[in-house]
Amino acid sequence: MTDRPVLEATDLDKRFGDLHAVRGVSFHIDPGETYGLLGPNGAGKTTTIAMVGGLLERDGGQVLIEGEPMTVRTLDPRRKIGLVPQDLAIYPDLTARENLTFFARLYEISGQQLKDRVAKVLEVIGLTDRADDRAGEFSGGMKRRLNIGIGLLHQPRLLILDEPTVGVDPQSRNAILESVEALSSDGIAVLYTTHYMEEAERLATRVGIIDQGEIKAEGTRRQLVQMVGERDRISITANGPLESAVTDLRGMSGVEEAGASDGQITLLVRDASELLAKALETVTNTGASVSSVAVEEPDLEAAFLHLTGKALRD
Amino acid sequence: MRIAWIIARKDLALRSRDRSVFVIAFVAPLALAFIFNLVFGGGGNDIGQSVQFDYGIVDRDDGPVSQAFTEVLEAIEADGLIAVQPFDIEPDARAAVEDGTIDSLFILPSDLSANITTGLPANIEVVGNVDTPTSAGVAASIAERFASGLAAATDAALTAVETGVIGPDEIASAAAEAGAQPPVAALVGIDAGIRLLDSATFFVAGLSIFFMFFVAGLGVTSMLEERRDGTMTRLIAAPIRRSSIIGGKALSSVLIGLVAMVTLVVASTLLMGANWGDPAGVLLLIFAAVLAVVALMSFVGGLAKTTEQSGNLQGIVAVTLGMLGGTFVPIGDPTSFLGQLRFLTPNAWFLRGLADLGGGNIVDTLPAVGVLLLIALGFGVAAVSVARKVVSA
Ligand SMILES: Nc1ncnc2c1ncn2[C@@H]1O[C@H](COP(=O)(O)OP(=O)(O)O)[C@@H](O)[C@H]1O
Ligand SMILES: [Mg+2]
Repeated sequence: MTDRPVLEATDLDKRFGDLHAVRGVSFHIDPGETYGLLGPNGAGKTTTIAMVGGLLERDGGQVLIEGEPMTVRTLDPRRKIGLVPQDLAIYPDLTARENLTFFARLYEISGQQLKDRVAKVLEVIGLTDRADDRAGEFSGGMKRRLNIGIGLLHQPRLLILDEPTVGVDPQSRNAILESVEALSSDGIAVLYTTHYMEEAERLATRVGIIDQGEIKAEGTRRQLVQMVGERDRISITANGPLESAVTDLRGMSGVEEAGASDGQITLLVRDASELLAKALETVTNTGASVSSVAVEEPDLEAAFLHLTGKALRD
Repeated sequence: MRIAWIIARKDLALRSRDRSVFVIAFVAPLALAFIFNLVFGGGGNDIGQSVQFDYGIVDRDDGPVSQAFTEVLEAIEADGLIAVQPFDIEPDARAAVEDGTIDSLFILPSDLSANITTGLPANIEVVGNVDTPTSAGVAASIAERFASGLAAATDAALTAVETGVIGPDEIASAAAEAGAQPPVAALVGIDAGIRLLDSATFFVAGLSIFFMFFVAGLGVTSMLEERRDGTMTRLIAAPIRRSSIIGGKALSSVLIGLVAMVTLVVASTLLMGANWGDPAGVLLLIFAAVLAVVALMSFVGGLAKTTEQSGNLQGIVAVTLGMLGGTFVPIGDPTSFLGQLRFLTPNAWFLRGLADLGGGNIVDTLPAVGVLLLIALGFGVAAVSVARKVVSA
């Protein structure tokens, strides 16, 4: 094994008509590293991945997989990538085993090796008992696991997971996160996109914060949090005209950032104890009713808010 | 090719779990053909074996126009397709139709030539028996074709009189002469019709190719399904060429089409006594027809964005071509404009090829096979370029 990156993406660019979906995205992933691409819906994560996987023609930039250029036409580098699409990509009318067998054949796995790999993956995703049941009958979590398993069949050097926990119950979600951790400790490089800050914090060696098609910042959790500086975060859950509350809060001295989404206002302040009472009063004055308040130390979400000016929530 | 086969095999496995394909490909056409055969059949005439219609004629005109018409009938009679028996007394002739001595009757009115000469409307009456609608249909189309040629010729002749090229007394003979020409030329079309009509095989063949249209679109439909369901992303992410994906879809369509058609041939032969003709020729025709229909339907189906749209589009095209191609209505006027339009359809060429094969010589089917292969090539190229857009992230 050499030290060269498993993936090197340079200046990736993609437009859909007038929409500049990905703008000069560059990052690399080293062997054994888990890279988290963290950003809200529509940030350009899936589009970036589609270019990395050679699915989508790009308007600019370069992708190297272990030094080999990847385009929509090259076949060889694809063998090194296991791509797990964001939406379930399985045949519901085939059994789990048939799904795995079919996709394994596309990677030129055959004979005894085919049987072994399918059995191994079934074990890894915990579906050995249900191997011969139709995938359509599976629970959501089982389908997700099968979806991921297909990406593991050919023992890729780089596993790309596009928001694998969206719409999954907490138990399955945890199982998925654990298996990603296990794969990573086996030395496989992982590109993991998510809009859940906690997942990026838990899994990723390095995180790239992506918004509006651009990587705004990149680094380890510690590095990113340091960019934000020593700030406290106040989260206020409330009902009412949160946007106007945010506007008022932004005008307060000592408030560095303010944002709202999903009934929650997030504030970055220098000193929470000093500002808390006044902030709450400001929110209440707009007619909103506050249901809970929390004060936290800086984390990735704070970094995200600082970098993009928005809260990172669904 | 190996990858195309892997994809085709997966699709076939999926389709065999989806019982609708069996219904569409086997059960429905067999059941319908069986019913049609019960309703219209009876004779169970073999395909390609010439059917002879017995016609009567009452000539009350005895002028140049009726003379020309009689000559047309004689020409067809010489080909062994019809037998014509003259009657002097009209009620006797009508009675002969009633009791089935003859299938249909032409009555030429006494003023036929006179009316034509003066540009007045004239009618050739065709009397048919409800029990032999096919025969009456063919008789009517012969008369209609003659009349339409006649009308055109009369117009030309009247113009000629006005400009002084010929005298009024020459009109009838000039018109009749001109009127006599087109039906002879048009006999090719009638010929094909006659050889196939009224047989169990005709209905099974027509319905089989009609239903093949629905089977043939399965490949392109499954391609749209793969895109809808996200599995297309996986296929594109795999180290396989996009042409292998398209190839796999085409292969599965062709295989399902071939299996369906061959099953229908075998089943209709065993169950209904249909006689398709020389197996090698039938196989050749089926192969060409399946390629043509798969190419056509893949192109049509690939124009749509969603599987639903695609299904609707395919249905419309299948039914339109089925009707145009004579699947449901074998008779009518095969020589009219609409009648000739059917040769824009693979359906008609397939049926035509089977009719030609009925002559016993496989070489006779080659024109039909050639046309079908041309359709396959043309639409195949178009379908691939359309499919390339579907096979994308
Ligand atoms: N095929 C496409 N055509 C047009 N716009 C697209 C297409 N795919 C994605 N987009 C747009 O590009 C932007 C980025 O999308 P995407 O990469 O899917 O974001 P993410 O995965 O981060 O949610 C979005 O605004 C999305 O609507
Ligand atoms: Mg996405």
